[in-house]
Amino acid sequence: MSRRTLIKAAAASSATGMLPGLQSAVYAAGSDKPEKEEVKIGFIPLTDCASVVMASVLGFDKKYGVKIIPTKEASWAGVRDKLVNGELDMAHVLYGLVYGVHLGIGGPKKDMAVLMNLNNNGQAITLSKTLADKGAVDGGSLAKLMAREKREYTFAGTFPTGTHAMWMHYWLAAFGINPVTGAKLITVPPPQMVANMRVGNMDGFCVGEPWNHRAIMDGIGITAITTQDLWKDHPEKVLGTTSDFVKNNPNTARAVMMAVLEASQWIDASLQNKLKMAETVAQKAYINTSVDAINQRILGRYQNGLGKTWDDANHMKFFNGGAVNYPYLSDGMWFLTQHKRWGLLKDHPDYLGVAKQINRIDLYKDVAGAMKISVPKDPLRTSKLIDGVVWDGKDPKKYADGFAIKA
Amino acid sequence: MNPTRPSTAALRIVIVAPDSLLADGTDTRAVTEAERSRSLRIGLLENGYNIVAVLPADVFLPDRLAQIAPDMIIVDAESQARDTLEHVVLATRDARRPIVLFTEDEDTSHVGAAIAAGVTAYVVAGMAPDRVKPVLEVALARFEHEEGLRRELADARTELSERKVIDRAKGLLIKAHGLTEDAAYARLRKTAMDKGLRLADVAQRLIDVSDLLA
Repeated sequence: MSRRTLIKAAAASSATGMLPGLQSAVYAAGSDKPEKEEVKIGFIPLTDCASVVMASVLGFDKKYGVKIIPTKEASWAGVRDKLVNGELDMAHVLYGLVYGVHLGIGGPKKDMAVLMNLNNNGQAITLSKTLADKGAVDGGSLAKLMAREKREYTFAGTFPTGTHAMWMHYWLAAFGINPVTGAKLITVPPPQMVANMRVGNMDGFCVGEPWNHRAIMDGIGITAITTQDLWKDHPEKVLGTTSDFVKNNPNTARAVMMAVLEASQWIDASLQNKLKMAETVAQKAYINTSVDAINQRILGRYQNGLGKTWDDANHMKFFNGGAVNYPYLSDGMWFLTQHKRWGLLKDHPDYLGVAKQINRIDLYKDVAGAMKISVPKDPLRTSKLIDGVVWDGKDPKKYADGFAIKA
Repeated sequence: MNPTRPSTAALRIVIVAPDSLLADGTDTRAVTEAERSRSLRIGLLENGYNIVAVLPADVFLPDRLAQIAPDMIIVDAESQARDTLEHVVLATRDARRPIVLFTEDEDTSHVGAAIAAGVTAYVVAGMAPDRVKPVLEVALARFEHEEGLRRELADARTELSERKVIDRAKGLLIKAHGLTEDAAYARLRKTAMDKGLRLADVAQRLIDVSDLLA
């Protein structure tokens, strides 16, 4: 049954219990017609832009009454500015960036919204081949090398408040390396990571795929750890927008979420779909790389560049039965705890209050309910990260202050 | 506040330009970006602007900007360099400087919104060089104006929080010694004068000691 027919059924009888979410939230306003039908969604050339791109390519957007216009962007700062000034309606964006803008860290301050999580897993930390040749192939051996051969070690993330910078910080600290005082951390755009490592400008980087696999293909880097081994099923990119956009266009927001959810479902449904996705997003208009660079890791076929290969059950997931997309409050709060830990925030924010403002669980529930996707009961989840520290979102202040290594 | 502000021609400008060595020649976007940047530089130079450096957006950008400490940074709005620059902005967020973005976007209707969002100015590429000058002048004036407001706000906040500290210290003295408010204030002021400290600092010390003993 398509959503259109569901809507008709619901409209025919206001007493229907079929769409509790839609009924209360949408029909209260009188109509579910998207307020804005053309939706510009910014994306950065990375494998995890796939659900947004496929929602448009496969026409799921039309099914829900909107037209998604995927808009390729050159930088996260550009995505940020365009979201803030309304040139973009939404974006495939870094979780931490959305939170950083909401709190005005280092740039414009604007009330933001996370509509849904786009993917779990599928990023990695790459160390240069030069370092690997000296024995640094994982966190422990890197720490030993850095203690033995003292010099300035340079590691890159993709945006100061973003996801990759936080993974990089967390990983180094988990192995006793203070990323603030014991290493140099820089920001480099994803497509430039491999080129910079090739010319010896950096010792390691954290970035989304396909760039880690590409470093292996080019013989210049090795995968020291995948981010799923850092935090299994960690939150990664989100579908982000401004609070104003949601306020003015709630139906559009819901329609886009449905289209992207359906695309997420489609990608995770089969190997064939994943291969089709890889072929699509590899094109010039999207990631502009070879299909080979993308399709290995999305299928879970990993190699570390040193001869080890494995099948990773926790590869990049876009849907995973709906477990991927729910915007857990604890996920959003985690980025704030790390912003505080590394001195990006000078004081403790109201962690839960901020997460509740940004993560639109209300909208997500409407949409998931209409699509019969299960929603967890608890907006907080429990995760054990690589250093053995458990994060459950219950005492963010204590968690943020509790790390031995911090700024 | 600062009537002797130099004209923008005397500004030490750094331009962050795409690195043509890293750019993929088949990437039309990168080629356009490089060309746009080149024409902007020529325009500025022809108008007598003091371009002290043209830096590639590479991993050394933060270090080089720290060395040169330019008065203004100009960068392409659509360039990958933006994220590297964002790193600089965050690392030096207590010492802000004007950043001008230039763009090929002819539609300037969003410029106001962009400026409000924190970017100092948008310059549309292809704009005649003599028109760039007033834009940069306005950008700098606007930046200084905002910095002034920011400082005033910070001062006002400090003053307010200091007043709160003094009030709390007065309260402690009133409670501990049964003083009147005036007498409590006089005692704080006398201690400040005797020790050569600021009133707010004395008040803060009293609160700290009181917390310690509590």
